[in-house]
Amino acid sequence: MAARILKASTGLTGLPVSQNPRKMLLHLYGLTFESLEKMPASAAYRKNTEKILKHRVDIVKSTEDIIQIEKKINCGQIEEIIVQAKNELSLARRMLIWQPWEPLLGDAPKDQWKWPI
Amino acid sequence: MASCVRRALMPIGVNILRQHGIISCLRPRTLPMMCRFASHDAVQTTILKRDDARKEELLQFGNYVAENLPKFVQKVQITDGGELEVLIHPEGVVVTMAFLKDHTNAQFTNISDLCAVDVPSRQYRFEIVYNLLSLRFNTRIRVKTYTDEITPMESICPVFRGADWYEREIWDMFGVFFANHPDLRRILTDYGFEGHPFRKDFPLSGFLELRYDDEEKRILSEPVELAQEFRKFDLRSPWEQFPAFRQEAVEEGEGVEKLESGEEKK
Repeated sequence: MAARILKASTGLTGLPVSQNPRKMLLHLYGLTFESLEKMPASAAYRKNTEKILKHRVDIVKSTEDIIQIEKKINCGQIEEIIVQAKNELSLARRMLIWQPWEPLLGDAPKDQWKWPI
Repeated sequence: MASCVRRALMPIGVNILRQHGIISCLRPRTLPMMCRFASHDAVQTTILKRDDARKEELLQFGNYVAENLPKFVQKVQITDGGELEVLIHPEGVVVTMAFLKDHTNAQFTNISDLCAVDVPSRQYRFEIVYNLLSLRFNTRIRVKTYTDEITPMESICPVFRGADWYEREIWDMFGVFFANHPDLRRILTDYGFEGHPFRKDFPLSGFLELRYDDEEKRILSEPVELAQEFRKFDLRSPWEQFPAFRQEAVEEGEGVEKLESGEEKK
């Protein structure tokens, strides 16, 4: 709690200090899980992302201390982690449209990647 | 490096010499010389080191990308210099870029460069190359795809705003059309320029020449007239210069191994 009051700035341009980062993070992760659940269970993107998010949710839920959370996730300040969560949410929603878990669209023509020719 | 060691050794050396009473017979210039010989082992070379652990890590990440996007990734490879390359189907450009930018394990938020390569003998003559940088993980990745003169590429501007001018550059130099680009104009060549100068079939002299006309008092642009017919010289040497790059070797699959160390996904 004390850490939150003491923190005046993230030191990063355009990234203000978050007032209630834990609530924000859990909300974003919840929304992302909702999107992921609409994907087929065998999709590698769903599996990998769920693994990452579950790991982070466990850490966020385990402690109230923001500094501890930052240390355990080890991926920047809590505000940056929120940005990552937002990105992952928007990506998951777009992935539902793109459906990248389908089989390969087509191989390259023969010798397309051959070098030197 | 040598100077660091010298600086560290200097006081020690001077102290020892003082204790033994021989400093007076040494001129100050000789002391750094001695130290330089002492630190000879620490000389560093500038040759790129092979870092197999790093290579393995990169390959793992490449396979992770391929696993997540099985619809688009055709091949994952590591170049001889240890750079990760992901070769994708042209329809998957935006998806791959969005994945690499927004996925928590990738975070390639910086588009360092985007360019094209023209190889006229291929079915799809243009190779489009995207270079990304992840500041979070201090990693680079290269994404390659292909197209031809008439097939438009999907613009990645909705994902990376910074790709705007790079795509205009490719449009200008190679004539690859980018669909959904916000502002696709020429960027490097002059107003009214015709043709795409980086195509292999673009003549070295160009099509138009500009000159100032004294009578007309203005700049005229006229079709190029060469003083003599274009001649084709046979510049090949009678000796074989690069036996390692002989065509047969490549076809047998050996040359490819040597060139790009051929670690493939599929």
